[in-house]
Amino acid sequence: MGNEKSFWGKFKTFSIYAGPSTFAFLTVMIIPFIYGVYLTFTSWDGLSEIHKFIGFENYIAVFKDTEFWTSLGFTGWYVLATVIITNAIAFLLAYVLTTGMKGQNIYRAGFFTPNLIGGIILGFIWKFVFSNILVYIGENFNLPFFETSWLADPKKAFWTLVIVAVWQYSGYMMIIYVAGFMNVPKDILEAASIDGANGFKKMKSIILPMMIPSFTVCLFLSLQRGFMAYEVNLALTGGGPYKTTELISMHVYNKAFLSQQYGVGQAEALILFIIVATITLIQVSITKKMEVEA
Amino acid sequence: MKRRKILSLIITVVLATSLLAGCGTKAKTDDTKAAIATDKAVKITMLNTKGEILTQLEAAAKVFTTENPNITVEIIPVAAGVSPFQKISTMYAAGNAPTLAMLDPNDIPKVADKFADLSAEKWVKDASAGTLDAGSVNGKVMSFPLAIEGYGLIYNKVVLDKAKVDPSTIKTTKDLEAAFAKVQATGVAPMVLSPMDWSLGAHFLTTLYMDQSKEVGSPEKFIGELKAGKVDLSTNTVFNGLMTTFDVLKANNLDKKSPLAGVYEKAAEHLGKGEAGFWFMGNWAWPDIKKFDTANGQYGFIPVPISNNADDYGNSQIYAGSSKFIGVDTKNNDANQQAAGKKFLEWLVYSESGQDTLVNKCSLVPAFSNIKLEIKDPLGKSINQYLTDKRAIPTIATLPGDHWAQVGASMQKYLDGKSDKKALATDIQNYWKNIK
Amino acid sequence: MKKQKLIANIIKTIVVCGLLVLYIVPFIFVVVNSFKESKDVTANPLALPANFSFDNYVEAFKVMNYSNAFMNTLIITLVSVAIIIICASMTAYIMVRKKWKITKYLFFIMVISMIIPFQAIMIPLVKIYGSIGMLNSKWALMYMYLGFGVSLAVFMYHGFIKSIPMELEEAAMIDGATRFQTFWKIVFPLMKPTTMTIVTLDVLWIWNDFLLPSLVLVSSDERTLQLSTYYFSGTYSVNYGLSMAGLMLSILPVLIIYLFLQKGIIGGVLQGSIK
Repeated sequence: MGNEKSFWGKFKTFSIYAGPSTFAFLTVMIIPFIYGVYLTFTSWDGLSEIHKFIGFENYIAVFKDTEFWTSLGFTGWYVLATVIITNAIAFLLAYVLTTGMKGQNIYRAGFFTPNLIGGIILGFIWKFVFSNILVYIGENFNLPFFETSWLADPKKAFWTLVIVAVWQYSGYMMIIYVAGFMNVPKDILEAASIDGANGFKKMKSIILPMMIPSFTVCLFLSLQRGFMAYEVNLALTGGGPYKTTELISMHVYNKAFLSQQYGVGQAEALILFIIVATITLIQVSITKKMEVEA
Repeated sequence: MKRRKILSLIITVVLATSLLAGCGTKAKTDDTKAAIATDKAVKITMLNTKGEILTQLEAAAKVFTTENPNITVEIIPVAAGVSPFQKISTMYAAGNAPTLAMLDPNDIPKVADKFADLSAEKWVKDASAGTLDAGSVNGKVMSFPLAIEGYGLIYNKVVLDKAKVDPSTIKTTKDLEAAFAKVQATGVAPMVLSPMDWSLGAHFLTTLYMDQSKEVGSPEKFIGELKAGKVDLSTNTVFNGLMTTFDVLKANNLDKKSPLAGVYEKAAEHLGKGEAGFWFMGNWAWPDIKKFDTANGQYGFIPVPISNNADDYGNSQIYAGSSKFIGVDTKNNDANQQAAGKKFLEWLVYSESGQDTLVNKCSLVPAFSNIKLEIKDPLGKSINQYLTDKRAIPTIATLPGDHWAQVGASMQKYLDGKSDKKALATDIQNYWKNIK
Repeated sequence: MKKQKLIANIIKTIVVCGLLVLYIVPFIFVVVNSFKESKDVTANPLALPANFSFDNYVEAFKVMNYSNAFMNTLIITLVSVAIIIICASMTAYIMVRKKWKITKYLFFIMVISMIIPFQAIMIPLVKIYGSIGMLNSKWALMYMYLGFGVSLAVFMYHGFIKSIPMELEEAAMIDGATRFQTFWKIVFPLMKPTTMTIVTLDVLWIWNDFLLPSLVLVSSDERTLQLSTYYFSGTYSVNYGLSMAGLMLSILPVLIIYLFLQKGIIGGVLQGSIK
């Protein structure tokens, strides 16, 4: 009974600790996913009663869909920009806000508030800021930079998406980095200080290595959020001007429900999944290998 | 040892109970369904995809129940950004499709096999000419037209009066240009042109299909030719005339410095406050214009001219059509619920409170000729006038779901000066050639 | 030395303050505009409200059926988060301490699953659960949140459990405690920062979640706060005044919870530090 080495013992341990999670996880995510994969091999259009097996037809359509690949490329740039900028700001903020400065909590709460506003409303608010407020400021204070709405120009619209994403997620990542900073055992840091190490050395040799789990999580999350961005894209730019800022999730959604080609849309969603999964798996395995156990 | 056992037992029990609770709910719904059949009380649901009338519909549902005590109607809304098609697909997939589903005309063919045949309903004979077509499949009426919506150039009469422009005299593109110049001379921007892809793609450009000829079925024929790649738009008179007009609109646009920056609400504000003389939009915009109204409700529509010959088809006509259709579901709703749903639709057309809901509360132009209530909002009134005068061209309802998005994007490029007529023509032709 | 530190502190404060203002401005902007009429919001976005009125709030409160929606959201959020924390922490723990092959695979599957686009499983999910009648109930929703949320929580716990020295556990077990007791009495309390972080993230996610409740909950009395904000957008336009008031009403509770939780995180820090 208390023997953890026997098969039965292992099974029991597993079920108690990981049982409910695994069961829920499998039945809520994996099974529908497998069913979804099956559906991509059929001609189901999302609505009709019957469907027939059509093999790889949907996937061939995906490869022919040039807009899918353009959108994917565009999304790649977006992800690169948001991941780098968000994590840089989040890390620095977390560092500064765990040094015990006055009013730390208020700052932390403040930086976190953007995250409280969800999806569509967030997009509308920022759309409002870019097309009304900034233009108002630009016209009245004669700042040509803001005079025309950033949303009307493809290049500037790209940056509006990045700005909003950074604004929304840097607070989120900051919280994770804060937890990471707090996990660094204070006694090791003190020992190092006593040994004469300065801030920079401490950062390099102690803090950063111990913070790698935070990097694993934050990089992963920002990659995932970046590739899957949809609601803000919809509300802020709507994919415009003239489809130049259509991120990949929007393209997939529109394929399934706007163009009403559900099978192709699903297949695209799956291919997107495979691509992003590969990228993030590589990222996670690299950073996990770098993690240090205390 | 003992404590661990107890703890694991508790956890198992808690989880099991939550699962059972889920199953318990199912049993309840089954019982209620059975109860409905034998009892007289019926509960039906209606999917509303027209956000602006949500509160009015809910109020109407309550009124309906006071007049029909056995039936309760629950209105199900959709969120901004969720297409009606997606909502209805997920509801059918989940097996809880609504009794009444309000959908866009081009969604109807895909869902019609789940709907009840309404051809024998009382209101079919009272429907105004042409309003049932988009909601019918193979000649059978499969859905109920909720309202007629129309669009064109909305004018602010006070601005026009000051510029000494009589809107009824504008019959050609040249007339329009002259009118614009007169408005400009009074220091007011001639018009505001909204850059939204749905406005340009679904409303403005579709004139191309509808104005080809007076014959019934000509838009569909033309589209068929486009799909077959047989059309060269650059030689098409309607296309060229339409784009010439578009150029005139572009040149006289209040936002012409940054044409893509315009926002719907701002345009309504400009027109209402008299900062612009005209706005290309539809009658649904009245509530937004009303908020800023300085012209005391004096607004109306004029058609968008597409040539310089006043007699050409399309120069004196507005485009109007049923914009939403309601179907009655047969797959997830039993006979009692379907009957109750049909009763609700009848109530909208024939009862005093139903008519009041449609015309007064929701400000809709009804599709039924028996409804004699006076339409109070100026835009609805104007559209209705065109309908009565038989100066309304039915809007085409069988466009592919993504037409407005794709073609609208091309129009936006043109509006922004990043594309020319030739490229636009090619874009449109390619779109149709590649449609499945 | 002290002067350098003072200057450094001042610079730090200024920079952080400046950044904070930038971050909060849109938020303040929502607050200010929520007191204006909708048409004034679009006409004069920067102006202070001409007639400062609570009308939007009163209207939003009524239209959203606030108290009901609030209770629904509260129950769903608290219970789901509690279950996620309990299940995920245990799962991550066993994954780190026992080097079994199966848990390694499970971990990677969980990580990849976070990439699955929700819309890829949206309709299959609804089809499956609809056919067994598990829709339109808070409990089904909470169960699904467990299934969806366990991956991220496990992912986060996994990284941080490694920083807890095994010696602590070994010492406890030698003293006669079972693994289960060791976990709950020693390991879990040490992971307080992580737990608080996951609680914060998950509360936010579930509280603000829109898509899943819209699929699973159908009847109007089961609606969550997010679902109730439906009312403020039409087909072509948004009623800005009302939506902003509605937005404030829905996030105020979370803000309060967050500030409350902040104290918990600070408590965790003070326990382990003597600066």
